[in-house]
Amino acid sequence: MSVGADTLVLVPGRASRRRRESLIGIGLLLPSAALVLAFTIFPVAYNVWLGFYAKHSLRATSSWVGLGNYSQILTDPDFWRSVWLATVYAIGSTALQIVAGVAGALILHRRFAGCDFLRGVALFPYMIPTVIAVFVWRWLMNDLYGVIPYLLNMLRIPGMPEAWLTHTTIMWVLIVLSVWTFFPFVLVNVLARLQTIPLELYDAARVDGASAVRQFVHVTLPQLKNVLLIVLLLRGIWMFTKFDVPWLLGFGGGAGEAIRTLPVFTYQRSFTYYQAGMGAALSNVMLALLLMAVTVYFIAFPPEADDNDA
Amino acid sequence: MPERAASLPRRPRRPVSTGAAWAVRIGLFAFCAFPLYWMLVSSLKASHELLASPPTFWPHEWELRAYRKLFYETNFWTYMENTVIVAVLTTAIVITAGVIGAYSLTRYTFPCRTLIARVTLLAYMFPPIIMLVPLFLLAREFGLVNSLVGLALTYISFSLPYALWILRAFFQSIPIDLEHAALIDGANRAQALWYVVMPLALPGIIATAIFTFIVAWNDFLFALVLIGKDELKTIAIGINEFFHMAVVDWGLIMAAGVMVTIPALVFFVTIQRYLIAGWGTGGVKG
Repeated sequence: MSVGADTLVLVPGRASRRRRESLIGIGLLLPSAALVLAFTIFPVAYNVWLGFYAKHSLRATSSWVGLGNYSQILTDPDFWRSVWLATVYAIGSTALQIVAGVAGALILHRRFAGCDFLRGVALFPYMIPTVIAVFVWRWLMNDLYGVIPYLLNMLRIPGMPEAWLTHTTIMWVLIVLSVWTFFPFVLVNVLARLQTIPLELYDAARVDGASAVRQFVHVTLPQLKNVLLIVLLLRGIWMFTKFDVPWLLGFGGGAGEAIRTLPVFTYQRSFTYYQAGMGAALSNVMLALLLMAVTVYFIAFPPEADDNDA
Repeated sequence: MPERAASLPRRPRRPVSTGAAWAVRIGLFAFCAFPLYWMLVSSLKASHELLASPPTFWPHEWELRAYRKLFYETNFWTYMENTVIVAVLTTAIVITAGVIGAYSLTRYTFPCRTLIARVTLLAYMFPPIIMLVPLFLLAREFGLVNSLVGLALTYISFSLPYALWILRAFFQSIPIDLEHAALIDGANRAQALWYVVMPLALPGIIATAIFTFIVAWNDFLFALVLIGKDELKTIAIGINEFFHMAVVDWGLIMAAGVMVTIPALVFFVTIQRYLIAGWGTGGVKG
């Protein structure tokens, strides 16, 4: 994109005309702005306010507790445990998604017989509803009838667990299942970027006698840097705040406690214990963490003139 | 908009087709496809074979029992219908507002335009869980609990910023000179938009519509807290219900999975190229 955002003005002209133009522009933006304001910004603001109240999720009454919710949260070992579990989950699944996504993109980058077909197959896990993905994996990993434990057992590796949906191993299942579901997001973004890398760069590297590995490290990776950073940011945030996957994998089994990440903890506070104020405060903690991550990201990697790079 | 793959320069080197290359391709295929294959065969196995040890990779006996149970003994079609209603409603609102909003953000100047774009990006990153409590309480306040419209409105809260962001990138990629040319040729603003910009933006709009549809189609969290009545349940929470039966019927759950996956698969294969265009433009550029 060579066109900067501010050059995209259609009608140049005198001030009065320009004012009319901006009024039309504001008018066209109004429906979206109103909807975002009403359904996104307002709820977030309302949530900040709710965090200062003790409120039952179903009853109308509420009472001001100031920072009470927050001091209670910060002294609750269950909260810290859920933060830890969410961190392990976010780091483990994001790192593996990026590895799998980049590997997949490199595999699919070059054309070969059946390339389009395989591209379709590789994107598919991202398209099927999360509920289905989790239930299929619960079935694949079932302690009694699961096919994957059966296959792993055949390898006869010493120390290999017999059952996987248990306290000690369920986090691994959660991470692998999440990588399976979400790595296509990384794959597509990286693939799209790979296809825009000028071939001359590789020609130059080859002339210099660079091996395939060196070409990847010195040509491909630097070109992918921006994509990988934004993917890392988005996936990291989204995995840290993922509710449905750990909830659906963990509920109904005793091992759910071992994957009670911060979002699951928040849900339980709000809808198992009906502490809406506490739930709101926990959401605010997540929001604060998110804003911090975004701020650090933008300070470390300032967006260029064109917003699209951000 | 030209298709991305077609405009690619040809790789000068011959295609790699060594044994190693095929091994990793097959590995990728197996990783992605095996769980889906297993879902399919599990839904078609006889009950006793489903729980057999060792498991059979190709069923000895095929049965449609699970599908019969799904169609005649559960509310599957009601769940399906509700999901389609909510997803279509969400997509219609989001795309209508999003297209004109994104057009405005890229073609007009007014105060705070960049700020609005930034806020949109930030809102796009908002995970749904942050909105859980406030949207639930507001829905109760306005009597939108147990309402498909209420559910669709909550989906707007996280799909509209996302749609605005992607559509804005699409509109930015359409050269403004084309519109200038149309205006000079005597077209008015609306005609330029309709005849010049829209055809070029169509792949992006389709991609965005699909993503919005998928958000609504996939959601579990908001349906879980907002919908209690069985006749209003969407697929996600309906299938979740199957888990609470006295004996978990894995064949039934896998059959439901297949029934939800097949339409998505057919749909997805037909529009795949739009999806890739959308992803490339939406997430990252430059």
